[in-house]
Amino acid sequence: MLILLWFLWDASSAYWYDFGISQLWASEWYPYESLYGLLPAIIGTAWAMIIAMLIAVPCGLAAAIVSSEILPVSWQGWLRLGMEMLAGIPSVVYGLIGLWVLLPWLQNTLDLLTGHNLLAAGMILSLMILPTMMVMSQDALRLIPIEQREAAMNMGMNWNQRLMRILLPQAWPGIRSGILLGLGRALGETMAVMLVVGSLDRVPDPIYNILEPAQTLTSRIGREMGEAAFGSMHFSALMACGLVLAVTAICLSLLAQRKPREFAS
Amino acid sequence: MKVFLSLLALPALLLPLACFLYIIIQALPALNWELIVGSNTAGNLFGDAANAGHGIWSQVSGSLLMMFLACVLAAPIALSIALFHALWASPRQQRVLIILLQILQGIPPIVYGLCGLVLLVHLLHWGISLAAGGVILAVVILPLLSSNAIHALQRIPIEQTESAKALGLSVGTMITRVWFPAAWSGMLTGLLLAMARALSETAPILFTATVFSGVLWPDSIFSPVTSLQTHIFYLAQEGSNAHAVDMAWASAAVLLALVICFSLSARFLRRYEELS
Repeated sequence: MLILLWFLWDASSAYWYDFGISQLWASEWYPYESLYGLLPAIIGTAWAMIIAMLIAVPCGLAAAIVSSEILPVSWQGWLRLGMEMLAGIPSVVYGLIGLWVLLPWLQNTLDLLTGHNLLAAGMILSLMILPTMMVMSQDALRLIPIEQREAAMNMGMNWNQRLMRILLPQAWPGIRSGILLGLGRALGETMAVMLVVGSLDRVPDPIYNILEPAQTLTSRIGREMGEAAFGSMHFSALMACGLVLAVTAICLSLLAQRKPREFAS
Repeated sequence: MKVFLSLLALPALLLPLACFLYIIIQALPALNWELIVGSNTAGNLFGDAANAGHGIWSQVSGSLLMMFLACVLAAPIALSIALFHALWASPRQQRVLIILLQILQGIPPIVYGLCGLVLLVHLLHWGISLAAGGVILAVVILPLLSSNAIHALQRIPIEQTESAKALGLSVGTMITRVWFPAAWSGMLTGLLLAMARALSETAPILFTATVFSGVLWPDSIFSPVTSLQTHIFYLAQEGSNAHAVDMAWASAAVLLALVICFSLSARFLRRYEELS
């Protein structure tokens, strides 16, 4: 892993030496005029992740609760099988769905110039991380000992109280690592996002405008890697994007490793 | 509360299923036997009648080749990591190893692709090649493969290991005669899952291993290949061409079928393991 980081650093060092760390906040990216600001892509990535999480976390959690607490046991095996299959669908296939189903639909319903935007990217991402979210939280819910549920029932708690007071707090570490895993996946996903996001290097104006074409770090690497000549400044700027991605991903997985102590039983 | 939750859960349960069915329905018009065994689609798309064909066989075989190369490269390394973890690592080393593997698993595949592009394609002058794609995919699946192998070895009851040691078996005999018979199904499950993963990764091989057309069967491991994943991606950008759209859905369905084959057999293997 150190080799990997050193490698990214080495390949992008020309970029960092020439422009310095302040380029992270610069908002212009025009390779032909030697302007390499990373801000548009970083904001794009952040928005795509936020939208994906806003949709996937409540839906995935609800689906996990419904499938493990409400539906009959005989359904669970099948549902789980289906979810694991879905988690394995290649991302480029999701990209295809996004490009030819979601984009025209968004364009028509929201009356936009083009369907390529951050909202579409976020929606596709949420679709991709839903199965992961759901499988992880379902696992966490199933690991709770049956005695706990029985004790809660004996105390006369109703269904809502059992869910909010007993089940969710106990399952929280598992759900949390599911969320972080999903975030990591949303961060690193390339193909699906690349097909729908529109690849326009501009900071959204105003900054909460998610209906404009934009760019994420991964989609920029994917789009421009074919064009950049090896050894040029453009190339090392793209390597810098990769470095930012890798460092963020490492932070996320370190965060996922740190287990909250108070629930360890 | 129950009603509210069910309403929230409904899209999560139904939408993926709908997507799945949609792919199958869209793929049906172009999906036939000719498609899988036929040779070349790209010529057809660009109006090159002499080169025309209706199939994606070269893409399928390219994907499978790259997948096998990746597995052949990654499996011995993963096995030795797992054996190191089980035999010689101190508890502290074990913990560090697990954490390291999880971090590696969290790094986006495209970052591996970038490193491979610089190191293999440019610095080692392999060019855009099957070998580069195989090595990069091997690195991508290595964390998954080794953590699965570690878990497979951990599930062996400690009594078996201890009685093997008490019988005075050497380490080599213990591995081949005691551990391997007990853990092979778990390891094979991990391998199948890793194969499915290698088949579905697109981003890391887009610039390092694949071209759109012109290759039926790679001449050597240092020549470019075509692969199903990137084929779908290229076709997706030909949005105005009706034939390309059909082909893209059909390719997506074929890829999906391949991936599901691998993960379903992994699942059955796991059930077999639980029964025995």
